[in-house]
Amino acid sequence: MAQTIVVTSGKGGVGKTTTSAAFASGLALRGHRTVVIDFDVGLRNLDLVMGCERRVVYDFINVIHGEARLQQALIRDRTLDNLYILPTSQTRDKEALSAEGVARVMAELQQEFDYIVCDSPAGIETGALRALYHADAAIVVTNPEVSSVRDSDRILGILAARSKRAEEGREPVQEHLLLTRYSPKRVQEGEMLSLEDVKELLRVPLLGVIPESPVILQASNQGIPAIHMKGSDVAQAYEDTVARFLGEERPLRFVQQEKSSFFKRLFGG
Amino acid sequence: MARQADSNSLRLSGGVFTLTVLRLQSLDPDPLEQQWQEQSAALGILQGAPVVIDLADCKEQEISQELPKIIQILRQRGCTPVGIRNATPAQQAAADQLGLAQLRGMESSPQSMKKNHQRPELTPASPPLEHPLRSGQRHYARGQDLICLATVNAGAEVLADGHIHIYGPLRGRALAGVQGDETAQIFCQRLEAELIAIAGIYQTLDPQHPLWGRAARIFLDGEQMAIMPLEK
Ligand SMILES: Nc1ncnc2c1ncn2[C@@H]1O[C@H](COP(=O)(O)OP(=O)(O)OP(=O)(O)O)[C@@H](O)[C@H]1O
Ligand SMILES: [Mg+2]
Repeated sequence: MAQTIVVTSGKGGVGKTTTSAAFASGLALRGHRTVVIDFDVGLRNLDLVMGCERRVVYDFINVIHGEARLQQALIRDRTLDNLYILPTSQTRDKEALSAEGVARVMAELQQEFDYIVCDSPAGIETGALRALYHADAAIVVTNPEVSSVRDSDRILGILAARSKRAEEGREPVQEHLLLTRYSPKRVQEGEMLSLEDVKELLRVPLLGVIPESPVILQASNQGIPAIHMKGSDVAQAYEDTVARFLGEERPLRFVQQEKSSFFKRLFGG
Repeated sequence: MARQADSNSLRLSGGVFTLTVLRLQSLDPDPLEQQWQEQSAALGILQGAPVVIDLADCKEQEISQELPKIIQILRQRGCTPVGIRNATPAQQAAADQLGLAQLRGMESSPQSMKKNHQRPELTPASPPLEHPLRSGQRHYARGQDLICLATVNAGAEVLADGHIHIYGPLRGRALAGVQGDETAQIFCQRLEAELIAIAGIYQTLDPQHPLWGRAARIFLDGEQMAIMPLEK
């Protein structure tokens, strides 16, 4: 049986899709058969971030409507053969994701994969509820700012009440906090909440901290999941995140402000 | 409590609800709009709340024209008028047209929905809440005290007919004695609340409060809300 992981946040633009792509790739890199699903009907950008937008013929919605088989809609990743992407369509029909349809597709994926990663849309409406419904674990992506923390809190409450596990009275969904776009410098300058502030407010175990970095934009422009950006801080931070999810201990990195080196200071770097 | 009707399509059950009463000083919509703008922080607690409109102060006024406008303003501000009270027969007729229920109840002032001086019969408290109560969540200990071991986060709400004990930070709203028990109290390890209320008398708080972030005990001293440090 596959484990289903929802990447969610409440607030928009915090890094869910970036994280879904990097995290799913990280699981696949470690040998797990993984599928990543785009639940953001209407916006659809997971395929761009994964660099497979040109290969989309059928999608999640077609499969739900019985217009295509799951095998026809699954796209194999460019670099990893045990990673698949299930893209979504740009339809504006909000009812496209029927509860039964999603359940049917999830049941089928359960047979084929070790991990199912669900990229949730922002908000707390139907799309987000569908994405979290089947979750066994949730990665709550949060930026170090008050509004993002508040929305994450909201979504954690919804996870505890509206997931399938909650409805069936099973063990609750495993909660993980992922702090993204973290800038130690801006924390020090008091412009952002610190890691400690966010932990204290949300009280959810911390899975990782992804620093703010221009590499993310480079990666998504090239359609390469950030975990493949060799040597970059974000690639290492995502790798640590995956390792921790799989039960390894990793010290936190990229949370202290870098001391500018003697030479940098000398030459005004 | 639920009584099964003959057909399965309907089930009757009883419930006691706490409603906020808005006592209008006039039926003129403009001052209402204005006050809402000026006090948006305090009135923000009415977001999403069902409210009862009290017309005790508007006995002399003709309502049929103005009431629809007032209802519209309230809806735009996110609260749902469910009924009116203290209405004249003409005002009642206008309210009927708008589908508002007639509610009977004690006279009350806008800040308090009391008075039930006696402590109601309370049943023993349920097991404590172990997990943080999160934004958008609400927990009501009906006929009980409430014990909360974790935090009550901003945007969350705890209510109890009796006392409320919170052994974590209180960052959301806490309403004790919601059935009118004026002896109910709130105890918390860290007071950072958005709103506290006892027996319908409420107060909003901000970080300037001298006990902000400290352990506190909140109770009614007559009509006044008293906030004291928890330690002597
Ligand atoms: N660690 C980071 N450093 C810098 N930029 C980042 C980082 N993570 C994400 N971004 C940028 O933030 C923007 C939003 O990211 P992304 O699309 O992953 O968010 P999202 O939560 O999926 O958004 P939506 O709610 O619209 O689905 C993108 O432009 C992305 O490049
Ligand atoms: Mg996205």
